[in-house]
Amino acid sequence: MRGNVLSRAWVRRNAGTLWPLLVAFAIVLGFQIANPAFLRYEGFITLIYAMSYFLIAACGLTFVIMMGSFDFAVPSVLKLAALLCVMYIGRFGFFAIPLALLVSLGIGALNGVLLAYLRVPSFMATLGVSIVVEGIALYLSKGFLHIMYDERFRALATTFLLGLPAIFYWAIGIWALSTFLAICTPFGRRTYAIGGNLIAARLSGINVERQRILVFALSGFLAGVAGVLYMAQLGGGSMLIGSDMSIPLFASVVAGGTALSGGTGGPHRTLLGVIIITWMQSGMLMLALGRDMQMVIFGLIAVAVAVATMDRKRIRVVK
Amino acid sequence: MRFRRFLAPFIANPVLLVLVGLVVLFSLLYPQRFLTGLNLTTILKQFVTLTLFALGPSMVVVMGSLDLSYVGIWMLGGILVWLLAPTLGPWAILIFPLLGLGTGLFIGVIHAKGKMPSFILTLCLLVVYWGLTAILSRGYSRAVKGYEFITAPLVPYIPTAFLWSLPLIGGAVYLMARTRIGLYLYAIGSNEEGAQLAGIPVTKYKIIAFALSGLFTGLGTIILFQHLGGSVPVELNLKNVVWPLVAIVLGGTPLVGGSGGPQRTIIGALTFSVFYRGLYLSLLHPEILQLLVGVLLIVSIIVGARGIKGVEIT
Repeated sequence: MRGNVLSRAWVRRNAGTLWPLLVAFAIVLGFQIANPAFLRYEGFITLIYAMSYFLIAACGLTFVIMMGSFDFAVPSVLKLAALLCVMYIGRFGFFAIPLALLVSLGIGALNGVLLAYLRVPSFMATLGVSIVVEGIALYLSKGFLHIMYDERFRALATTFLLGLPAIFYWAIGIWALSTFLAICTPFGRRTYAIGGNLIAARLSGINVERQRILVFALSGFLAGVAGVLYMAQLGGGSMLIGSDMSIPLFASVVAGGTALSGGTGGPHRTLLGVIIITWMQSGMLMLALGRDMQMVIFGLIAVAVAVATMDRKRIRVVK
Repeated sequence: MRFRRFLAPFIANPVLLVLVGLVVLFSLLYPQRFLTGLNLTTILKQFVTLTLFALGPSMVVVMGSLDLSYVGIWMLGGILVWLLAPTLGPWAILIFPLLGLGTGLFIGVIHAKGKMPSFILTLCLLVVYWGLTAILSRGYSRAVKGYEFITAPLVPYIPTAFLWSLPLIGGAVYLMARTRIGLYLYAIGSNEEGAQLAGIPVTKYKIIAFALSGLFTGLGTIILFQHLGGSVPVELNLKNVVWPLVAIVLGGTPLVGGSGGPQRTIIGALTFSVFYRGLYLSLLHPEILQLLVGVLLIVSIIVGARGIKGVEIT
C-alpha cells in the first residue's frame, strides 16, 4: 500500500505533517528576507528561548485537546508557578520548585475533578479556576515585579551546552517524553480513545473519569514546569507573565495538527506548531509589529487553523 | 395551601431564595449602608451593565453554545463611534447594532458551517476585536461627547439606562417565550440531533441565534456606551467577560442548554449585583473579591448542572 515518496497519494496521506513544515519553512524564509538578523546566532538563540517554555506548556495542552476537552488555565498556572518560585526561593531554597510543581499539579487535578465528577464543561471549569488562580497570584505578588537573585536557580535554564541554552534541552526532553507517553503507552492510547469517541471508550471499559483527571493533572504539571523554567530564563517576573499566551498557545497546538474535535494529532505534531507560532511572534517583534497587531493576526490564524483541521465528517454535534 | 402557592416561584427558581437571603444578610450586616438610596441605585446600575451584556449571549447558551464576543463588540464599536462621529454626527452610534449583527452572523456561519466550537471561536474573535480597538485608538481611551441625553436623569434614584433597558429585556423574553425562534432554540439545546430529525433546520437557526445575540448586544451597547462613561477601554478586562457569564449561569441557565433563558438571566444579574455590592461594602481585598467571583461561577455551574443526565460533557 505504501506509495512512493512524493507520489500524489503519499502527499495526501501526510498532508497533516507536510503543510506545517512548508509553513514553517516559508516563515523562516520570509522573516530572513525581511530582516537578515533573523537567523544569525544571536537571533537563533532568541528564537530558541521564545519557543522552549512555550513547547513545554503546549505539550500539556495537546493531551487535553487530544482528549476533546480544553484547558484555559495553562497560562495562569504557568504564572502562579513562576511567581511561587521567585517569591519562596529565598525562604525554602530549592524546595520552592517542588512546591510550585505540586501546586500546579493540584490545580490541574482540580480541573479534572470539576469536569469528571462535577460535570462542569472543561472550558468553563478552567476559566473559573484560572480566575481564582489569577486572584491568588495577584494576592501573593501584590502586583509588584519580583527579581530572582539565586544564580544557581537561573542556571537551570540559562547554562549553555553545545551552544544552546539548557531550557532547550529540557523542552526537547519533555517533548520526547510526551510523545512517548502519547504513542507508546496505554495512557496515551486511552487519551486518544476518549477524544475519538467518548461513549465507545466508556463502553470498552476505560475509566473515563480517572483518565480525565490524570490528563488535566498532567497539563497542570507541565504548565508548572514551563513556569518554573521560564522564571529561571527571565530572572524575574510579575503578573504579566503569560498574560497574552492563551490564544497563541491554542493556535500552536491546533496548527500542529491536533484537531479540536479530539482523537487525532499528538505532542509530536505540536513541535511544528510551536515553531510556526513562536517564530512568527519573534519575527513580528523584529519587524516592530506590536502586541495589538499580533493579537489580531494570531486570533485570525487560530480561527483559520481550527476550521481547517476540524474533522467535519466524524463529529455530529458541535456546541 | 396559600403557603405553597407563595413558595412556588422559589422552588422553580432557587436563585430567588439566594437573592432574598443575600438582601436580608447584607441588610443585617450593614444596616446603615446597604438599604440606602445611593447603594440601591448603584446595584441597579450594575444590574443594567450585567443584563445588557448577558441578554444576547443567554439566548445562545439556551442552545448549548457560548458567545463571549460581547465585550469585543462594545470595545470595537466604541472606537468606531469615535472614528465616525466627526463625519456622521449623532448617527454614528448606530454602528453598535450593525457591528453586533455583523459579528453575530459571522460567528454563526463559521460555527454552524465550519463546525468550530463556539467558545473558542468567540474567544478568538474577542481577542481580535481587542487588538483592532487598540490599533484604531492608537493605545488611548477615547471619549465621545454628544450622547449624554441617553443617560440624562429622568426619575430620581432610578438610572435612565435601566428604563432604556426595559424594552430590550421585554423583547428578548418575548422572543424566547412566545415565538418559533425561541421554541426551536430550546429544542436545539435539549437535543440537537433530535431537533434535526424532527425537521428543524438546525444550521439556519444556529446562525439566527448568534445573529440575534450579536444584535441584542449591539443594541444594549448603545445604552452601555454612555452608561459606562462615554468611552471604551483599550485594555481587555477579563472581569467584564466573566461577570455576565456568572449572571447567566447563576440565573439558572445550564451550560448544556435546553432550559433557562433571558428571564432567568435578569434574576441572575440582580443576584450577582447584590452579592458583589454586599461584598464590596465588606472592605475585603479586591483580589479576594475576584477570587470569590471565580468560586461563585464554578459553584453555580455545578448546582445548575445537577440532575442533567444523558449529555456527554467535554
